[in-house]
Amino acid sequence: MTIRLEYLIPLPLLDQQRGESEVWETSRLNFEPGLSYLVEAASGRGKTSLLSIIYGLRKDYKGKVFIDESDISTLGEKEWSVLRKTRLSFIFQGLELFDELTAMENIRLKNSITRHKSEKEIQEMAGRLDIDDFLQRKTGILSFGQQQRVAIIRAMCQPFDYLLADECFSHMDHKNGKLAYDLISEECKAQDAGLILSSLNSSEEITSSKKLIL
Amino acid sequence: MWSDNSRAHLLGAFLGTLAGLVLLLSGIQFYTDIKLVLSDNQDLLDPEYIVVNKKINIGQTLGFSGSGFSPEEITALRQQPFADKLAPFISNAFPIQAFTESDKVPNFSTELFFEAIPDEYIDIKSDEWQWDPEEGIIPIIIPQDFLNLYNFGFAQSQGLPQIPKGVVSVLNFRIRLNGSSGNYQDLPGRIVGFSNRIHSILVPQDFLTWANDTYGYFEKVDPSRVILVSKDPTDPAIIKYIEDNGYDTIREKLKGSRLNIILKFIISFLVLIAGIIILLAFLVFFLSLQLMISRSSQKIKRLHKLGFHYREISRPYIFLLLILMIAVTSIALLITGLFTRQMAAMAEQWNMAISSSLHGIIFGTALALITLISLSNVIAILISTKKLCK
Repeated sequence: MTIRLEYLIPLPLLDQQRGESEVWETSRLNFEPGLSYLVEAASGRGKTSLLSIIYGLRKDYKGKVFIDESDISTLGEKEWSVLRKTRLSFIFQGLELFDELTAMENIRLKNSITRHKSEKEIQEMAGRLDIDDFLQRKTGILSFGQQQRVAIIRAMCQPFDYLLADECFSHMDHKNGKLAYDLISEECKAQDAGLILSSLNSSEEITSSKKLIL
Repeated sequence: MWSDNSRAHLLGAFLGTLAGLVLLLSGIQFYTDIKLVLSDNQDLLDPEYIVVNKKINIGQTLGFSGSGFSPEEITALRQQPFADKLAPFISNAFPIQAFTESDKVPNFSTELFFEAIPDEYIDIKSDEWQWDPEEGIIPIIIPQDFLNLYNFGFAQSQGLPQIPKGVVSVLNFRIRLNGSSGNYQDLPGRIVGFSNRIHSILVPQDFLTWANDTYGYFEKVDPSRVILVSKDPTDPAIIKYIEDNGYDTIREKLKGSRLNIILKFIISFLVLIAGIIILLAFLVFFLSLQLMISRSSQKIKRLHKLGFHYREISRPYIFLLLILMIAVTSIALLITGLFTRQMAAMAEQWNMAISSSLHGIIFGTALALITLISLSNVIAILISTKKLCK
């Protein structure tokens, strides 16, 4: 999948004073297939906006976005649904987990419609991220860091050409962060998928091909 | 998807729809039954013979308007859908007297009138009901009521002997037909029957026609009465036509139509109530579902973010709706069926036969209603979830 941006800028950012941005309002910005990108910026610079726009959740922008040369503004509900289930995976900053469901049920929510991973594989991933003891607990009572890991595993349970991850390591310590990042990278490699990661700051464990400053 | 309140709401909607449905379906069932019973009865009984006359009003008394049916009125009446057959009463166009000549009983004489209608309308069939100019005997049919009036009214109070039917027909008397120039003819008369249907002094039509041609000299008048045959005297159109045109008739015969009207009214009322109940129940269903959806708006949006299409998200709600609809219909049909069976058993005790199984129209109505309610709710569910997924 190629994601291409043309003069993209979210409307709320139009009036803000910006320095030179590598992303906003550039004439042409390509996210190549299979590559990983780190989008780094301070708060309020539009990290979440960028990912949300690509994912089709935000439509208040100027400019154009193309996914495989299709202008996403022309895509309908059905097409977005297919995209989000089979080609674009998202790890939300707000996680978007169902508190009243257990961790396992949350993960199964995605997995049952994509049938991407077996129960065993899910258990393994949970083990790697140190949350396998919590799978049967309701996510509402887990810590934010644990919830983040649940969200990550859920995002792994589908086929994707691009993974969009919005500050998904914010509540993890160094060790867990590395574990999570390794898991994500492996899955991306296995699927030949690209990765766009947004973060407040660089961390050593994140090694990506390209860094973009918003 | 569930919350405590929504369960209660849906239960309420369910019960309301159930009650309304049962009421509506029962109403339709019984209406159909009654229609059948009434029309069935008509086939069992003879078609009803109705005598129609004009109401006498002061204009007629003072001679301004005729009290007879004009040819146009008769044609109009003939064309009414409730009138299968119709014939005007012919009356005498010359003076008539009846008198006795006997040495055994005191003589009497009286002015008389005759009327005639075609034989098919008369309830007495007799071999003697023939006019034979050779024989010259005038057969006469008088109302049973006259005899009863005499026997049980006049005779009793006057100390006179009562006269059995058989004796009356043996009585000898003569009829004098008077022409315009003082000419007359006497003919023997004989009472050959007592009618329960026609309140008149009847003679055979061919006799009166001949007599009118021979002796008639009165001004031509419109017939004052007509007799008509109707297969369904309970048809309210009959009373309406009669009243609208200022006619009159013996109400006894048309009593059924009043019953018909009342019954139709009661059942229409029931159906109206049922309709309102169903409308309200539909509203509660609609609102409960919408409430459930809006309470879950966050979850619905979340599902949408994860890539679920709004149609997929609507599915559980639609499923729930359809299950409830099917359940309510089945139970309503069951209850209505039980009711019907009960009523049929009761009706049998009263010698009325009503169907113990549901008429086809019941299933049709139930199906149509449920489809309507389900469809509108499904559309509403899709619209609300779609809105949330924007």
